[in-house]
Amino acid sequence: MRLAAPAKVLLQRFAFLFLILAAFGIMLLSKSETIVVEKVSTVVVDVFAPIMDVLSRPAAAANDAVKTVRGLADLRDENIRLARENERLLVWQEAARRLASQNQALQSLLDFKPSPNSQSIATRVIADSGGAFVRSIVVNAGDRDGVRKGQAAVSGAGLAGRVTTAGYRSARILLITDINSRVPVLIESSRDRAILSGDNSGMPRLTFLPANASIKAGDRVITSGHGGVFPPGLQIGQVVPSGDGIMRVKPNVSFDQLEFVRLVDFAAVSPIVPQGEPAVPPKNAASR
Amino acid sequence: MTPTLSHRLDAVARNVVPAALGVFFVLISSIPFYIPGFGPVAPNFVLMAVFFWAVHRIDLFTSVTVFFIGLLLDILVGAPPGINAAVLVLVRAIAASQGKVFRGKSFLVLWWGFGLVALASGLVIWILTAIYHLTLINPLPIIFQMTMTIAAFPFLAWIFARTHQKLFQHV
Repeated sequence: MRLAAPAKVLLQRFAFLFLILAAFGIMLLSKSETIVVEKVSTVVVDVFAPIMDVLSRPAAAANDAVKTVRGLADLRDENIRLARENERLLVWQEAARRLASQNQALQSLLDFKPSPNSQSIATRVIADSGGAFVRSIVVNAGDRDGVRKGQAAVSGAGLAGRVTTAGYRSARILLITDINSRVPVLIESSRDRAILSGDNSGMPRLTFLPANASIKAGDRVITSGHGGVFPPGLQIGQVVPSGDGIMRVKPNVSFDQLEFVRLVDFAAVSPIVPQGEPAVPPKNAASR
Repeated sequence: MTPTLSHRLDAVARNVVPAALGVFFVLISSIPFYIPGFGPVAPNFVLMAVFFWAVHRIDLFTSVTVFFIGLLLDILVGAPPGINAAVLVLVRAIAASQGKVFRGKSFLVLWWGFGLVALASGLVIWILTAIYHLTLINPLPIIFQMTMTIAAFPFLAWIFARTHQKLFQHV
């Protein structure tokens, strides 16, 4: 297209203004029309998921190689440590067996309905947030694999986050450190309730703690199960007091090394299960 | 294939390289690197790409291209959509208007200019994010990120300059 120079300049100015306004428009839209913007974003992430999957593999492989080399260096120490841990765990296993049988006996005594076994989906992390102000990841499983919004994302160490959007073959997980994350928690020893509020730092804050809460550094923090998104009792981390009187939690999960996460559907498990009704709706049976 | 057609295809291929590089760096920005503490402070590669190409080949990097690259970045990293789109369009406009100042000068001048632009965009990103979430956000991550970005610029600029030379030396 050939245009006279002044017209071209005018067109460029117009395009610039229009695009800036469009950007602000999209920002506003994502605040008000959350669902529409979420849907479009999900489709875009889905389209790029296979490419990110491929691109993220070399980094993952390099990370594994580094880990292997490091592992070789302290193989002996690790062996000794594991042997000791094994001894200790055998004692715990004894205790667990005893408690399990006792628990079963007591449950039958009370006619207790146990929460149904939840199903989980193992997924690989294909994107983590490159933004300075976002703490979320994308995993390579979506709707077709049974991933649903609200599922808890856990790694071996504990709770990592929850699914906020699920596309066809990818899903975004909001980490517990993100500024938008709020998790109802319980201090394991004192049973004080609180809300774990992310603030984009590595250590989320404990908010809404009762005034008389007696918590101290090192106390373990678990999910309380209130609100029905997460099941009660998932490990999160340990209390770390920060200088300004705010209690923070150091998560067990190391988010930098998060390579695989398990997505577990607890949302369907309501905290109070009416007798005689299935706790999990049938749609869940289809998930793998 | 006639020589004119192949020549044309060749030219098209060359001309989409800057935009393709932009998309590539968006993808690189979003994949995990497993380096402790790296994620939040990873250099903003896309900002470097947009600045460099806007100074050297503004014609190949239209505002619309830059807008969509920014939007893609927002969506893939999970940032509020529109923030990077607005910032990158702004950066492109600044780089384009100051292009004459940078072209043909020593690299230090370009680096200095990029430093100012990076700091300004960090500030804008911080303000927009705070407004978006309606809370005061700790600005430290973006300060670190922009410091890393400025520090990494010579390396990326060298790669871009080589690409630029290879692609357009006989044009």
